[in-house]
Amino acid sequence: MSEYLLEMRNIRKSFAGVKALDGIDLRVRAGECVGLCGENGAGKSTLMKVLSAVYPHGTWEGEILWQGQPLAAHTIRETEDAGIVIIHQELMLVPELSVTENIFLGNEITLPGGRLNYAAMHQRAQALMNELEMPDVNVALPVSVYGGGQQQLVEIAKALNKKAKLLILDEPSSSLTTAEIRVLLNIIKGLKARGVACVYISHKLDEVAEIGDTITVIRDGTHIGTQPMSSMSVDRIISMMVGRDIANLYPREPHPIGEVVLEAQNITCYDVSNPQRRKVKNVSFSLRKGEILGIAGLVGAGRTELVSALFGAWRGKSAGTVSINGKVVDVSTPQKAIRHGICMVPEDRKHHGIVPEFSVGWNISLPVLGQYTHLGRIDKSAELKNVMHEIGRLRIKTASPHLQITGLSGGNQQKVVLAKMLQPKPDILILDEPTRGVDVGAKYEIYKLMFDLARQGISIIMVSSELAEVLGVSDRVLVMGEGELRGEFNNEGLTQEQVLAAALKPLDQVLPEAA
Amino acid sequence: MIKTGAVAATTSLPGQDKPAHGFPGVKQLFSQNKILALLIAIALIWAFFAWKTEGGYLTPRNISNLLRQMSITGMLASAMVFVIISGEIDLSVGSLLGLLGGVAAVLDVHYHMPLAANLAIVCGLGLLVGLFNGYWAAYLRVPSFIVGLAGMLAFRGVLLGVTGGSTIAPVSDQLVYLGQGYLPTLLGDLMGVIIFAIAGVVTWRSRLSNVRYGLPVAPLWRDITRVVVAGLVILGFVRVLNAYDGIPIPVLLLMVLLALFTYMATQTVFGRRIYAVGSNMEATRLSGVNVRGVKLAIFALMGLMCAFAGVVNTARLAAGSPSAGSMGELDAIAACFIGGTSMRGGVGTVHGALIGALVMASLDNGMSMLDVDSFWQMIVKGTILLLAVWIDVVSRGSSR
Repeated sequence: MSEYLLEMRNIRKSFAGVKALDGIDLRVRAGECVGLCGENGAGKSTLMKVLSAVYPHGTWEGEILWQGQPLAAHTIRETEDAGIVIIHQELMLVPELSVTENIFLGNEITLPGGRLNYAAMHQRAQALMNELEMPDVNVALPVSVYGGGQQQLVEIAKALNKKAKLLILDEPSSSLTTAEIRVLLNIIKGLKARGVACVYISHKLDEVAEIGDTITVIRDGTHIGTQPMSSMSVDRIISMMVGRDIANLYPREPHPIGEVVLEAQNITCYDVSNPQRRKVKNVSFSLRKGEILGIAGLVGAGRTELVSALFGAWRGKSAGTVSINGKVVDVSTPQKAIRHGICMVPEDRKHHGIVPEFSVGWNISLPVLGQYTHLGRIDKSAELKNVMHEIGRLRIKTASPHLQITGLSGGNQQKVVLAKMLQPKPDILILDEPTRGVDVGAKYEIYKLMFDLARQGISIIMVSSELAEVLGVSDRVLVMGEGELRGEFNNEGLTQEQVLAAALKPLDQVLPEAA
Repeated sequence: MIKTGAVAATTSLPGQDKPAHGFPGVKQLFSQNKILALLIAIALIWAFFAWKTEGGYLTPRNISNLLRQMSITGMLASAMVFVIISGEIDLSVGSLLGLLGGVAAVLDVHYHMPLAANLAIVCGLGLLVGLFNGYWAAYLRVPSFIVGLAGMLAFRGVLLGVTGGSTIAPVSDQLVYLGQGYLPTLLGDLMGVIIFAIAGVVTWRSRLSNVRYGLPVAPLWRDITRVVVAGLVILGFVRVLNAYDGIPIPVLLLMVLLALFTYMATQTVFGRRIYAVGSNMEATRLSGVNVRGVKLAIFALMGLMCAFAGVVNTARLAAGSPSAGSMGELDAIAACFIGGTSMRGGVGTVHGALIGALVMASLDNGMSMLDVDSFWQMIVKGTILLLAVWIDVVSRGSSR
């Protein structure tokens, strides 16, 4: 029998020629907790999908040994039967079903004739709850009556019920309160003592440092290092996570920066489904004419929510004031925001950016159809003329403006959405993850366009999860974490470590210059 | 299979030119040119019934009848198609048609309202009820299916209350003319000539406009062919109907609506936005379009068309009936889907919906002539609807 419960050796996985994982090793002993760390897009989720057979055996290279034996699973069911259970960031519970029913979903204990054996299931569910030190939970009540923390524990109970030997927790604490996180960490410690191993993936490095016995850091799909936590520190993890130079991908140009054009004060956004929870907490900032302001932070830090609120696109409740050139303006809907000169390119291109049934040209002209209208009729020639000009200006690679937009590559679709939101001639342009899923060539062109626009006096707010991009493009950087503004830096000699440290650490620990 | 050069030049969709497995020929045909396929289907249906009735089906008299039969469903379908394109549905239109037709009959029979005033009041009412439905669906966010279902029950109830459950007759000759009259043949000929002239002028102006903006211009022969084909269709249409009593007034109204709504769908900002809302509502909202306003307006238009269809229906029956328009919503919705409107929204045309209505009317009329039991008629229509939408799903499935 091997020393390890799980050994993943030299895992490689590519998507359409792009290497997502390039030789990753991960080892977990029984009863051990491994903290898996990496930036957004480093390959953590891909690695876990390989492990849990979301990507079945054969679609990736390398070797997985489970309890010393090769594991070649093709379905999630097979890995679960082996004892590997993954708990996703988004809880996979059915809110209307009871705690018991959720725990046994797909795994029900039945009586002859297919009837559910509620007595046996309730008993077992209650036993699991006791084990997890939650004896007060009434297992017959719907899951929805319990809070996020308890729901997370129901997920764990569900995993234990499947006789899990290895639990994978993917950002388990992102929707939990501090007290709930305490409980969760204690439970994991208890599980460790009973010999259940776990892989803990989190951006909250203090949690990782507390719970992890061993830390594995990956970056850009490659294995950076594995060390016992006793010889590591949070700062050391951060530098391992970042550790790369900014290549000359950023065609930086000097551009004059003028007066303050936009002032946002005390912006607060509330969760759509849970109005108690604040996704953005009292954030204030300003933006100058011709300035590129980068907003950095990890996934779930509230950046998208913040900029959506500025554009009137946030679905939940929000509060705060926005002024442009010193005057308070109403930006409660995108329509009004555009009228005040604010445009936004949303993060989710497929669902919020493109109109799939429309041609490239029709997508571009959507916000400004009125411009081409004479007596209610669209002057299609004028529209087409302008669209062709835009296609040329942004170098959108399309055979014809009449081509359906879904026929274009991701990068070109993104350029179309950019062109679309430039049509109203905004003074302030918000770009939420402008280069997500975009190839390097198109990335370069998008950056070039951004500098071009800034030189013309357009102010840009760019939300990005890629630190290199934030540092390569921005004049000034705001850092957000857990809905708060955690730092504001002038981008002069700023390092990724500083930004990441600000994003990861609560305010009282932040570096002095980030006041 | 049939290859056609008439694929719309402006919308060549990627990924559709390679045949998918299954029934490659049929699939390809339907996905590339649904309307042509439908016209072929109609030709087959007509040929079948002409054969069975020994030519009786294709006499000018019967074609005139058939077109009149489809006009009510057609009026509803020509607005319903926008409701469906925008991603909604309206089940209340049959009941609303009955109610507004009933109101028109009451105003005419009991209050002797002049036709113009009567029309104005009924259309105003229709618009208001449409706005009401739209407000519930777009602003109060009750699913339109439910709003329609509620209206379907409630409006029928109001109609029964207004009419006291009895037929209201006899309506004035003025009103009856709207449903049973014919355009004098001379006017019909004149109209044909005018429409032909308009088609020519529009084509010419669009060419000039493209030249002015330095855009590529379609080859001259293609535009000429288009205009000539349009001319032949108009000529045939007018000649056949004039060979009977002239163009029936309801059919004339339907043609006017077809022109107006096609113009709206293809040439105006509002039309473009309807398609955008149906294709991706969130992206459209984030482009600064007032998506709720668009939906509200679509429902208002639907209400207006219910008023129109209601008045014409009352005129055609020469009476206001408490059962008028029942199941009308289903015919209208079926017509839209047969005519290629997508259940998912974002895709559909007015002429498609009207051709869908023509398919249904052709089946109805033919089977009635053959004395087929009405239960068989229902079974056949249901089957056709199911097949038509299945073909839509299959042909689009491969391109997504």
